[in-house]
Amino acid sequence: MRLGHGRWREDVALLAAGVLPQADRPAVDAHVAACASCREDLGALRATLQAAAQDGVGEADLPIPLPALVTRVAAEIDARLLAPPVRRVFPVWACLSAAAVGVAAIAMMLASAAPRAGREAALAPPAEAPEMAVDGDALRRMEGLLARQQAARYLSAAQDVLVTVAALPKPCEGEHDHVDMEAEARRSRELLARRALLVDLSDPGVEPARPVLDDVESVLREVASLEGCARTRDVEVLHRDMERRHLLMKIQLMTRELAG
Amino acid sequence: MEGPERPASDRELLARLVAGDRDALAPLMERHNRRLYRIALGYVRDADEALDVVQETFVKAYLSAARFDPAAEVGAWLARIAVNQSIDVYRRRSRRRRTEEPLDPADHHAELASEGPSPERRVYGRELRDRVGRAVASLPEKQRAVFVLRHYDGRTLEEIARTLDLRVGTVKSSLHRAVRHVRQRLEAVRV
Repeated sequence: MRLGHGRWREDVALLAAGVLPQADRPAVDAHVAACASCREDLGALRATLQAAAQDGVGEADLPIPLPALVTRVAAEIDARLLAPPVRRVFPVWACLSAAAVGVAAIAMMLASAAPRAGREAALAPPAEAPEMAVDGDALRRMEGLLARQQAARYLSAAQDVLVTVAALPKPCEGEHDHVDMEAEARRSRELLARRALLVDLSDPGVEPARPVLDDVESVLREVASLEGCARTRDVEVLHRDMERRHLLMKIQLMTRELAG
Repeated sequence: MEGPERPASDRELLARLVAGDRDALAPLMERHNRRLYRIALGYVRDADEALDVVQETFVKAYLSAARFDPAAEVGAWLARIAVNQSIDVYRRRSRRRRTEEPLDPADHHAELASEGPSPERRVYGRELRDRVGRAVASLPEKQRAVFVLRHYDGRTLEEIARTLDLRVGTVKSSLHRAVRHVRQRLEAVRV
């Protein structure tokens, strides 16, 4: 049996959150009406939740158009389905067989342990611990990791732009057969300007990504050259080019590989 | 004369996905994207990461559609994937911050009054968002998931229990603790 206000604290909190079971409501309401402390507690909790409800999350919407998200999801599904299979754990029967062999081997070793004891002294001494890697090696590894992550971020940002292109942006107001490419053209120019800073092709970990990076750059240049209100036909040509090159899927795969 | 075609149910869309009909994905996403985004955003408190969570949720839903239990509710199943994905993202971010960057030295307990002139509603809103974000982010995983599903997705106790595979009693106590914890962290905010 709960004593004091302990039994009511949880119920008051659930009441404030709007999830108190209906069956418990009469008893809790009666208690709150009679208890100033719980009444104050209820008021404070309700105020807390009302304040928390003003943080904007409850009204938030996707930051990209839904068609763009659909395209991204489709590209990622393609990439996963085409990626090499993940190394699988050995099947259970193989594990059990190996375990049985291991147990048998240990049993045999134990059975012959006594006569072998004398040979233990002849065991070779343990190898010396390897010298610690020099700082330079660790630094190069970190630099390589950073270079790959930067390149992955660049590709991910490019993908965001190209996905929107693939999903066809919204039409320009008052312009027939034209779409609003202002934002995508600007972002493409920004990305192209940052490529030299973000992508270090001299790094051996990034170099294999060169073909994809070159493809991405050529398409970004096309997008960057579009008018703010571009002809739908021109954007569709770009889209078909991207599809022909399987560019979105390549970006997905390469980003994953770079990010490790 | 035939009436308008009834929209396919979630279960029907999922069955079409299992059968390889990729076209079933878009209507499913249209139906659930906002909800899942708000769950993810409530949990990870970052718009880009929340978007990644939603993307990954639908990818995983497609790839594991064949394993969906027909007795379950599709919305709860998707929400569970989103919550698990949000937890993964949050854990990865926490590990990254520990290894790459010093923790943000911004004082989590800074009083509003000490931050300059009396705030306009815009500034107050931003501060409130930050405080709520930090309060929710400071919740333990289970409490955070329960709080997010209740507060941002409006789920009942039973729905939360089904989504997270918890007992209703556990959901009650987690929500109770979460609400009190958030209250404690928001105490300085004038409502």
